[in-house]
Amino acid sequence: MSAYELGACNQILNSFVLLLEGNINAPEINIIDVHLAECTNCSAELAHERTMHSLLQDVLRRTCNETAPIDLHDSIYQQIHAQLTGTFTTEVITEITMTEISIEIDEFGNIEHREVTFEHTEEIQYLEDGSESDKG
Amino acid sequence: MTSTELVKESAADRAVRFERDALVFTNQLYAAALRYTKNPHDAKDLVQDTYLKAFASFHQFEPGTNLKAWLYRVLTTTFINTYRKDQRRPQISGGEIEDWQLANAASHTSNLGKSAEVEALENLPDSDIKRALLDIPEEFRIAVYLADVEGFSYKEIADIVGVPAGTVMSRLHRGRKQLRERLTEYAKDLGYSVKPAKGSKEETP
Repeated sequence: MSAYELGACNQILNSFVLLLEGNINAPEINIIDVHLAECTNCSAELAHERTMHSLLQDVLRRTCNETAPIDLHDSIYQQIHAQLTGTFTTEVITEITMTEISIEIDEFGNIEHREVTFEHTEEIQYLEDGSESDKG
Repeated sequence: MTSTELVKESAADRAVRFERDALVFTNQLYAAALRYTKNPHDAKDLVQDTYLKAFASFHQFEPGTNLKAWLYRVLTTTFINTYRKDQRRPQISGGEIEDWQLANAASHTSNLGKSAEVEALENLPDSDIKRALLDIPEEFRIAVYLADVEGFSYKEIADIVGVPAGTVMSRLHRGRKQLRERLTEYAKDLGYSVKPAKGSKEETP
């Protein structure tokens, strides 16, 4: 509370965000109240901050109220049930096998033969109703 | 429900409880995810991931505590860990000043400026409100959204976002200020004669 000096408008104005969030102690509130009772500029400013604060909340709440698409509701529901009952069917959709063969013959006629095989598999998990759910 | 009953709860019962208690927040989480990810496709993915993660760890949720705050924590953590992994983190200039009171010089505004600011906010179309919110830095946007749309306290937000309470206060203060500055600019474009908002020196991200 030592940060607050009586009559210091700047300090009082900066404390408004703390007032609005209720993050302020009783002794500080007392100092602010005393100042506000004497300073019409600051009390008008606090009234304006409160108005703007609640207006901004109203406006934000009005605009940020989208409804989730129906298919999102459905897929969440399905995934939870799939997780619960393990009703995934896994289907292999692609399988790539690649073999790299290299043959080297050195100057002494020794033959070195290497074979490296790469395998790649992609899986898709289906729910019972057949909708795609996950790639593996 | 006591913890003893929870131990006995079958997976099927838990799913029923999850569906009943948690899925009612789908629309709210989706609206929040739109602000986090800035696009409907990622927002859907984020909400779906959030629910799957939440269901997988639902046995750890303590009944009787704030389920909505718990879900928002899963949402926010999932967003930060997954959807932002490949992007460069938006930087807030000058770091995060927790002692923001010293950094911010406030001043009185005229009565004319006050009423014009109120009038502008009352008349701006929804599209401008959304645009302004998406336009402020991510850390500010999330804090302001959680406080002013969802009504979480700064302490709850600190828990949801995983930062100290002082940082949340700073983000709220600076985020709301930037939001109001942008709305004031839009209002000017629409022909409202708004005097510069107090402390209108731009805090650029």
